[in-house]
Amino acid sequence: MTKRILAPIVGIVVFLAAWEGLVRAFKVRRYILRAPSSAVRYLWRFRSDFLDAAGTTAQHAAIGLLISLAVALLVGAVLASNRFLEMATQPVLVLVQVVPWIAYVASVVVWLGAGNGPVLFMVALVCLPAFVFATVDGMRSVEPASLELLASVDAGRWETLRRLRLPAAAPTLFTAARFNIGLALATTYYVEGSNADNQGLGYIGIRAASSSTGADRLWATVFAMAMLGVIALAVLSWAQRTLLHWHAAQRSQPH
Amino acid sequence: MSRIVLRDLTKSFGDLAVVDPISLEIEAGSFVSMIGPSGCGKTTLVRVIAGLERASGGEVLVDGAAPVDARAHKRVAMVPQQPGLLPWRTVKANSRLLLDVNRKANPPDAADPLALLHEVGLGEFLDAYPHELSGGMQQRVALVRALALHAPLLVMDEPFAALDEITRSEMRAILNRLVEGRGVTVLFVTHSIAEAVALSDRVLVSSPRPSNVVADIEIDLPRPRSADVEDEPRYVELCAQVRHALHGSMRR
Repeated sequence: MTKRILAPIVGIVVFLAAWEGLVRAFKVRRYILRAPSSAVRYLWRFRSDFLDAAGTTAQHAAIGLLISLAVALLVGAVLASNRFLEMATQPVLVLVQVVPWIAYVASVVVWLGAGNGPVLFMVALVCLPAFVFATVDGMRSVEPASLELLASVDAGRWETLRRLRLPAAAPTLFTAARFNIGLALATTYYVEGSNADNQGLGYIGIRAASSSTGADRLWATVFAMAMLGVIALAVLSWAQRTLLHWHAAQRSQPH
Repeated sequence: MSRIVLRDLTKSFGDLAVVDPISLEIEAGSFVSMIGPSGCGKTTLVRVIAGLERASGGEVLVDGAAPVDARAHKRVAMVPQQPGLLPWRTVKANSRLLLDVNRKANPPDAADPLALLHEVGLGEFLDAYPHELSGGMQQRVALVRALALHAPLLVMDEPFAALDEITRSEMRAILNRLVEGRGVTVLFVTHSIAEAVALSDRVLVSSPRPSNVVADIEIDLPRPRSADVEDEPRYVELCAQVRHALHGSMRR
């Protein structure tokens, strides 16, 4: 238990100390890389501004992820029951994954207008493939014996989906979520920055990046994003341990 | 009244005949085992009776109705070879899984199968998860899950095949105790002669594929049966009789 909390903290502290040490030891020029201590100092000085911006960014990422998950469950449930549709959809989902979305973000902003719209849309879209693949694989992992058992009492499709397929997909969905959290935060940051009317960390950061005096602000947003990521992962791990305590991967492994 | 009636039932997959024309009646309230070599189509026959597979020819009646109707009304309770417990459900929740779906077909007296769980010795494991149970305990939950339906027909497909010998003989005793006096009809598929004789009122010996019944042996051991029944000379005699029929069927 203590190991579970202690280990990640040790990892982060060692990483930050190494970063700080390298910046000082090699006297890295300030506009290339800031030491964490100076980023933290700057964050603290303007803490209320950054807290507001971080709140907006966290909300964008979280809502985008939830929209993506909802769409993926719907799409995945259909694909899991139809091989042809699955095979037809797979290349489209891979396209979504490989096409550089940064190239067409400007069009999406024009299309949906400034504000939350393009941010949520892009986050939901970018996270969709992993969630759909996870849903399909998870729902297919149900034991045939369990399916037959429910069939033997004439359980309906919806009942089988809810009682059997959905819980069976939970482990793969959590794995996908772990991957998608990073993707969602990075996408949120970038799309906020390419938006005319926004308040998030990305808005501050991307504007600071193109300003000659913005390095402090830029590195403060980078640091704040990193903290959001750590918090998001901690929340996810907690949810996973609580909801998936029955799953083999969650039980303590023999050493 | 007969619980199960088969008239010239056949089943084939493409050109492969799995079940030969078979006619058979199983009386309400009796415990009937079907024993035969591996891959002889016993499981297919059971699936046809449970309404999970359609017959290719002939007629099947379960409780006077087509198997598909019996299934829709939850008149058939299955115990599969693997317990098939859902890992995210507790023992208590697993035991009521079949009551939780297709609820409109539940019997009016459907209640939490808590009493049954206590009866099979799982009273202290109600909130345990399947991974915390032994194989025998898991199969006991599967047994309770089926009995909780109060269905008139219980279909068991090699339910104890994956268990060790000590656990199997314990399960035999539990099953005898549960079924006796409940008036439920049981169709029990097995590979084990000892199991078939200890549990049944009647043992049907099946031939290799295409499946047919080559011997129909009445087991006249007294009830209620305890584990001691396996020490009786009559038990040993009946086992020998089943074994000879079984070997005869394989040489056919």
